[in-house]
Amino acid sequence: MGSSGPSKTRHEDSALTRAFFEKRENLLLFLAARTRSMATAEDLVQDLYLKLATAEDSAEVRAPAALLYRMAANLLVDHVRSTQRASQRNAQWRLAERVGGDGEDVAADPPADEVLIAKDRVRQLAAAVAALPPQMGRAFRLHKLEGLSQAQTAQAMGVSTKMVEQHIQAAIRHLTQRLQS
Amino acid sequence: MTRIAAPEERAATEASAWLARLQRAELSEGDGLEFDAWLAAAPGNRAAYQNAVALWQEFSAGDEAIVAQLEAEARHASLRPSPTRRWLSAAAGFAVAAGLAIAILPSTFTPPAPQTYVTGKGQHQRLTLTDGSIVDLNAETRLSVHYSRSERRIVLGDGEAIFDVAHDQHRPFSVEAANRIVRDVGTQFDVRSRRGELVVTVAHGRVEVRPASPAASGRAFLLTPGQRLAIDRAGTEDLKFVDPQEALSWRAGRLVYREQPLSEVVADLNRQFVEQVEIGDPQLATTPITGVVVLDDPHAVIARLSLMLPIRSVPSERGLLLLRK
Repeated sequence: MGSSGPSKTRHEDSALTRAFFEKRENLLLFLAARTRSMATAEDLVQDLYLKLATAEDSAEVRAPAALLYRMAANLLVDHVRSTQRASQRNAQWRLAERVGGDGEDVAADPPADEVLIAKDRVRQLAAAVAALPPQMGRAFRLHKLEGLSQAQTAQAMGVSTKMVEQHIQAAIRHLTQRLQS
Repeated sequence: MTRIAAPEERAATEASAWLARLQRAELSEGDGLEFDAWLAAAPGNRAAYQNAVALWQEFSAGDEAIVAQLEAEARHASLRPSPTRRWLSAAAGFAVAAGLAIAILPSTFTPPAPQTYVTGKGQHQRLTLTDGSIVDLNAETRLSVHYSRSERRIVLGDGEAIFDVAHDQHRPFSVEAANRIVRDVGTQFDVRSRRGELVVTVAHGRVEVRPASPAASGRAFLLTPGQRLAIDRAGTEDLKFVDPQEALSWRAGRLVYREQPLSEVVADLNRQFVEQVEIGDPQLATTPITGVVVLDDPHAVIARLSLMLPIRSVPSERGLLLLRK
């Protein structure tokens, strides 16, 4: 970005593209926070790149990094919305069950072909979640495993959204410590 | 607790805070720029965050399986004499280590828990319930059974099932799905609830469909054999006459379509097979299909479809990609 001269469009156009390539890895990590895999995050980065062309026309490309992150944040909103819609019904149904206060009882094992990670690893991950302190574990389970938003999780638990975020942070810290030694 | 955190520990703590913050419903460019700056702020930050994200995504990939595992363990734990003891000391140990205060909750094991059944891709399951009623679950279906002395209540999450209901005039049989209640009087019917859309098809007997609560919008219907009621997400109701055996044919490994878009056929196939089919052409997705699809294997199904449609398939990362010929 260092050499962007005073002359108009040409330089600025490439400044945005250059900023993209400079920030590409960071944007990827930003997006990866909300995708189910790195491959999907890569797809979104690619989408972002394709959108640069239209962004450049309208550009206030004074602050290319800000523009890139704004675009990335918008992409994430769309992505999350489209992936959540499918799982939402299920999650809300589960939530309704929870509010009823009954413990759930699963009588069927998950089908072997749906498990994308090894069974041993599933046991490890489940054990780590089970070992979390109760409120933290509950927040992690509702938000991460059952796909409720932070706000929905807060509502289900009767705590603030901020508290949910803190529980999630602590859970991540605890889980990484336990599972990645 | 006065100890100075090692740099890696600090980086890991900050990484977990960032990952949690990025889960917010609203993200702004400010969040992005701060995150960007943090990545570069210390040498270990990037690696710490990558670690956390890798684990986070592992939980995504395994979420359903992990929930099932947790539920299975909870069920076993409730049978053991003193399940809370070890767990409390573990939790307390962690609380001390992390310098946190935790609230100890009383254990909440309510005895008559509903039974939940889950099927995955390609799985069909037949349940024989205690009253002799039979339920056939289609693939990717989640359903729970709440039986009591006064009622027989089924809650259908996302999915599809055929109900052959044993007659019992003292205990009404009902299915809750997509904000409706489907109630029967000794009969056979199919309920399909996918992504908020509800379809009820009656083969024998009579079935009532009404909104789940008096406050909810929508009318009540009394369906007779051969009637199919479809209610879409917007609440639009559509009642028609069909051959009920068509709606029930999935149980025998066949799917019957009448002027339904290819995208619907593909969505159904993707529930029945692990190998996933994608449509590479939006126009193709809307092409209407009429016919019977025999569910043997996805390649054979696509090969037969390509005799009726101008399509060809190429291998893709997840399975097959359909393209216009």
